Amino acid sequence: MVNPVTWLRERTALTATAPGTIEGGASVAYVFGTVLVFLLLVQGITGAALAAFYSPSSTDAWASVAYVQDQAALGWFVRGLHHHGGSAIVVIAGIHLVQTAIAGAYKKPRELVWWLGILLLVVVLAWAVTGMILRWDQEGYWSNRVEVGIAAGTPIIGDQIQKLALGGNDYGNLTLTRFYALHVIVLPVIVTLLTIGHIVLARRHGTTPMRKRAAVRRWPHQSLRDVIAIAIVFAILIAFVVSSGGASLAAPADSTQPYDARPLWYFRWLFELRELAGSAEQLVAMLAPAVVGGFLVALPLLDRGSDRAVRSRALWLGGLVGILGVIAGLTLMSFVRDGNSPELAERIAKAETRAHRARTLAKTYGVPATGGADIWSMAPMWRARTLYAQRCASCHDEASKDRKGPILAPGHKNRAWITAFLQEPSGDRFWGRTKLAKTEAAMKPVELKRPELDDVVELIYAEGGAADVDPAKRARGVTLFESACSDCHSLAEGVSGSGPNLAGTGTRAHYTSFMSNPKSGVHMGADNSEMPRFDEELTVVERDAIAEYLVWLRTATKADLDALGPL
Amino acid sequence: MADSDPDRRKFLQIATCAIGGGVGLVVAVPALQLISDPAGKQTITSPSAPFDLGPAERFRVGEPPRKIEIVAPVIQDAWTAARDVVLGAAWIRRVGPGANEIDARSATCPHLGCAVGWDAARGNYLCPCHDSRFAASGDKLTGPSERGLDALPVQIVEGRLKLTWERYRTGQSTKERL
Repeated sequence: MVNPVTWLRERTALTATAPGTIEGGASVAYVFGTVLVFLLLVQGITGAALAAFYSPSSTDAWASVAYVQDQAALGWFVRGLHHHGGSAIVVIAGIHLVQTAIAGAYKKPRELVWWLGILLLVVVLAWAVTGMILRWDQEGYWSNRVEVGIAAGTPIIGDQIQKLALGGNDYGNLTLTRFYALHVIVLPVIVTLLTIGHIVLARRHGTTPMRKRAAVRRWPHQSLRDVIAIAIVFAILIAFVVSSGGASLAAPADSTQPYDARPLWYFRWLFELRELAGSAEQLVAMLAPAVVGGFLVALPLLDRGSDRAVRSRALWLGGLVGILGVIAGLTLMSFVRDGNSPELAERIAKAETRAHRARTLAKTYGVPATGGADIWSMAPMWRARTLYAQRCASCHDEASKDRKGPILAPGHKNRAWITAFLQEPSGDRFWGRTKLAKTEAAMKPVELKRPELDDVVELIYAEGGAADVDPAKRARGVTLFESACSDCHSLAEGVSGSGPNLAGTGTRAHYTSFMSNPKSGVHMGADNSEMPRFDEELTVVERDAIAEYLVWLRTATKADLDALGPL
Repeated sequence: MADSDPDRRKFLQIATCAIGGGVGLVVAVPALQLISDPAGKQTITSPSAPFDLGPAERFRVGEPPRKIEIVAPVIQDAWTAARDVVLGAAWIRRVGPGANEIDARSATCPHLGCAVGWDAARGNYLCPCHDSRFAASGDKLTGPSERGLDALPVQIVEGRLKLTWERYRTGQSTKERL
């Protein structure tokens, strides 16, 4: 029986390599590099799973992310791990860097390891930037606009950088495809190669012993510490993901909708610095990262000699602590500034409402093929309600100051409405505000008393095509109509009179016909209406859509209307 | 040196593997769950109601089968709600003078799902992928397909041809609806 481990060792020649040892013994101080490798693997695995759902096109990107977030099993969790995992990498990389600096592990002969590490940090930060735009929501879109805007301010080559980044002159499909290529192919390969280089060199040099203790083998003495650290960091990450509900997803990117764009939290110090710099913001945005990066790169060159005692390196370590302190302070200031602005809080709350609504629509109806920005059109009767708000509401809405016509509200032309109308046609909510109400031609209140009145109401109500008509009442209503109403009104299709023809009143066809030409003989007549005709202003489809909405309104309540949501 | 105690070493190794394995599972399980999510879902949905293919009388006896595209007014494809999407095609042929004597065959080859075309020269259907041939009636003639072209349910309502769009499992001799 061949031992599979032995078999593999022989075939891979791994037996030739001596098992790694750690001078000075295993230590918690050495776990951070391994934790970072673990976090990078998590990014790879969650990233692959997300890529299996993601569609890098301006019409589909937001929709596919919303699908993962709100519809695919555990999508929110995997996406949350990916998003907050990026933050975890920045945090642990920061600790790794500080720990290495304190240990003086950047000193000869380990300068290359240090520089590769700095380069890795820079690439990882850029990696996060390329990821934010992919969601194509307001947050990612606007923060990318600012970031590319900063890059575009680079002297001489700025314009070219911008065009190269966007894939042309503006945000679109090519922006997403190239950021996607950077995020899932180019940068992962670069990070992998840099990480391998960083680790290989670090292993060759071995750790910088901090204590005089016997060397131990890496496996399992350091490995156990590593894996415990991984478990702790991962547990914190998961707790963060679960408590925050995963990564955020704002409303779809919309170049016409302002948004309070903020960079990822680890760029907030730069954001604050730009705020403080005023007109010098462009210069500061270029210089500040150069100063920080320059100091880190120069550290091994500045702090020479073999002495690793912290006390003798107080100047350089003090410089590092000073820089990190300023970064932390600026970050804090930025968050405090935002936290103290009630206007901002209000705008954020509004944006969150929009985001929630967009995602609910996407989940319920799907995203139109024309793209996420058109998600609002999926709301029930959205087109009709938009047209209504633009063309009808100023004269017919209860809330309108300049209302000139009867109120069109939930319950319009239901039984109660018809009853109230017949009792007081010139009441304020009916014809009261029209020119007609002040003339002789205005309809007089119907003098019928209940139950006769109810019979006439049933007859007119029945014209709207309702299913719950009482036929007996309606039949009695016909007779009453003949004596009380037929001098002015007709129920026979197409017959004009001094009052409106009531055939089919309250139906979709009737509403369409009425708004097409209210001055028609079968409706108000030439002299009795101030309402403009809409047969040329609105297409047949548009008029029909409004009519459908008005028919819906008949049986709707205020709560139903509110449930449709804002436009 | 701590290395010298083999029991302790063994314990540390097992502990490391156990914790590492646990962490690995917590990463892998949600990722696999997410990736396999669409497998258990109807990710593309189209109307189940029959499609109106126009007046039945436009199909006449003796004419070769006519290819009609089945266009869904609206479908939902994962996250997209799209309008007027072509779902597939059917070959329609009138087989007799009676109002209901219309035959509809799915244009999807029952062998491995290629699109079947009409070979006007030979007067039969040809699947270009593996040369399966089917008679005008839909019956299997030659080639690897194990059954004839699948008949689609049709009915005539008020003179209009209504077709119910269905898909069937390929690569077997029996017709099984998907």
